[in-house]
Amino acid sequence: MTTKNNVYITSSTSISCAGNTNDELFSNICLEKTGIKNNKNYSYDSNPAIGKIISDLSFDENIIQQCQNILENSNLQNFENTLLIVGSSVGGMSNTEQSYFKDNHYKNVNTSKHNIQSIINTIQNKYKFYDNISFSTACTSSANAIGYGYEVLKKGIYDNVLIVGVDSLCHTTVGGFMALGVLSNNVCKPFDKNRDGMNVSEAIACLLLQTTKSQNCVEVCGVGYSSDAYHMTQPHPDGSKNAMKNALKCANINEHEINYINAHGTGTMANDTSEAAAIQEVFPNTVKVSSTKSITGHTLGAAGAIEAIVSSMVIQNQTIPTSTNLRDIENENINLSTKTTKEPVNYVLSNSFAFGGNNCSLVFGKVK
Amino acid sequence: MKKINLEILEASYIYDKEQIKELNTKELVPKMVTRRRLTRSAKIAIYLASKINASTQRIVYGNAYGELNATQSILNSINNKEQISPTVFQNSVYNTAISYLSMLNTNTSEIMTVSSGDITSSNILKAGAIKALDKDEIVLIVTESLNIDHIEDMNSCIEFLEVGVALKVKVTNEENTLSFDNNNDEKYPPSVVSMLNIAKNFNKEQKNIITICL
Repeated sequence: MTTKNNVYITSSTSISCAGNTNDELFSNICLEKTGIKNNKNYSYDSNPAIGKIISDLSFDENIIQQCQNILENSNLQNFENTLLIVGSSVGGMSNTEQSYFKDNHYKNVNTSKHNIQSIINTIQNKYKFYDNISFSTACTSSANAIGYGYEVLKKGIYDNVLIVGVDSLCHTTVGGFMALGVLSNNVCKPFDKNRDGMNVSEAIACLLLQTTKSQNCVEVCGVGYSSDAYHMTQPHPDGSKNAMKNALKCANINEHEINYINAHGTGTMANDTSEAAAIQEVFPNTVKVSSTKSITGHTLGAAGAIEAIVSSMVIQNQTIPTSTNLRDIENENINLSTKTTKEPVNYVLSNSFAFGGNNCSLVFGKVK
Repeated sequence: MKKINLEILEASYIYDKEQIKELNTKELVPKMVTRRRLTRSAKIAIYLASKINASTQRIVYGNAYGELNATQSILNSINNKEQISPTVFQNSVYNTAISYLSMLNTNTSEIMTVSSGDITSSNILKAGAIKALDKDEIVLIVTESLNIDHIEDMNSCIEFLEVGVALKVKVTNEENTLSFDNNNDEKYPPSVVSMLNIAKNFNKEQKNIITICL
C-alpha cells in the first residue's frame, strides 16, 4: 500500500444489547454481563437467544444519535469534510419485512428504505457529508469499511472518515441462521468443546478515523484481507490465516508483538475450529485470545466496528477481557483468556470472517 | 478534489429486458453441483469475468439491491411459516455472486462488495481507483438482477432488469482519453450506468483512459 499518513480512531460510540455506551459495553464484557436473551419475536416455532438493543429511540433515531455523539466528541464542527463509510449486511431489510408481512404484497415497499444505501439515506437526511460509500460483505461489512477508511486516509485521499457499522435484527437473519442450524437457544460459548451455535444480535457502532492524534486515541496500524475461495458458508483456515498475516505485514509488526486477539469467535462449530487452527498456526501461544460475542452476540455487519471499539478499549484500559461461558476448551494450543486481566497491551488484532469466505483482520495499536 | 486516472484494459457488458439468454454457464462452470447453486448475478459475474480474462486479481464488485430472488424466497418462506432453505439463505448476501466467482477462479485475493444504491458503479470506480494506486490491475464488476415475481409492484422506470458490466483497470499518469457520464436514457438500473457508459465507449483499438474524481 502506498503510505503517507498514520490513522487514528479519535472518537467512537456504540449501542448494542451489551450497553448503550462504549463504557457500558466494555464494563459488561469485563464483568461477564451478557445482553443476550431468549426472544420469540423473530421466529414462529422456536425461542432463540438473541441480542436486542434496549432503547426508547427507534433504530433510525439511534443511528442519528450515534453520529451526533461522534460530532460532539470530536474536533469537527460538521461532517462536510468527512467521507461516510457504512458497513451493513442487511441494510433496511426490517422495513421491507414489516411492509410485506403486513400487506402480503410489495406495492408499499419503499425501495429506498430496503437496501444498504437506506442507512446512508437515513444519516444524510440529518447531516451533509463530503461523499459516501457502503460495503456489504455479510459479517465482514464494517471491518472492511474500517479497512477502506484506513486505506483512503493512509493514501491521503480524504481528511476524515466516519465509519458506521450497523445491522438491525430481522426475521431474515434470525430465520436464516436457524435454517443453517447454527443458532443457539443459549448464550453462545465460543471456543468451548460443547458450544452449540451463535446468537444473532443488532448494533450500531461508529468510529471517527483521522490522521491527527487526539487525547486517548488508538492507532489503526494495518488491515489484512483475503478470500477463502472455498465454500459459501464453511470457512477454510488458510483464508483466515492469510488475512491475519496480511494485517501483520500491513502494520509492519510481527506475530510476537500482538498482545491480544479479539477473535471472530461466533460459537459455531465450523468457525471456531477453523479460526483456532489458523491462530495456532500464525501466533505463538503466548498471545491471549477471546471472543466477546457471548456478551454482544454476533452483530453481523456491525461486528467489525463494534469489535474495533472493544479492541481500542482493550488498549485504552490496558485490560484483556475474559472468555465468558468458556468451560471446556476445544483447542488447548491457543491461549484463550479465562479471566479479565490488567496487563500491558501494545497491539490488538481483531478478526472478522463472513459468508463467501470473505476475511478481514485489523491491527490496532497504542499511540506512541 | 483529488483525481486518479485509470486505464481501462478490458471491458465487457451484457443486458436484457427480462433475462439474459446466453451466459455460457454450462461451459464456464462444468460441475453441475456448483452450477445449480449459482444465482443469476453469479452467472452474470462469471460470464463477464471470462470476457475480460479476470483470474486472481483483486476485485471490487457491487450491486444496489443484493440477491433479490433469494430475498423474495426468504420473505415468502417466513410469511408462509415455512422453513427457509439454507442454500437460499447463504445465497442472499450481497457478496454472493462474487464469492462464487472467487471459488471458481480460486481467487484468494481481496474482494470487496460495494452497495451504494443508484451510485453503486460510480463508487466501484472510486474504490477501484483508490485500490489501483497500489499499482496492480483491479477487476471491477457491477451486476443487477431485478427480474423477480411482482417486480412491477416496485419498479416503474427500469426497463433492463438484468445487467452486468466488467472492467479491468490499472492506474496511469497518462492523459484522459475517454469521458463518461451518467446519461440513462435507455432506462438501465441507475446503479450500473457509470460503468456501463464506460464499457460502451471502450475501444480496444486505442488507449482508454478515464479520470475518476474523488
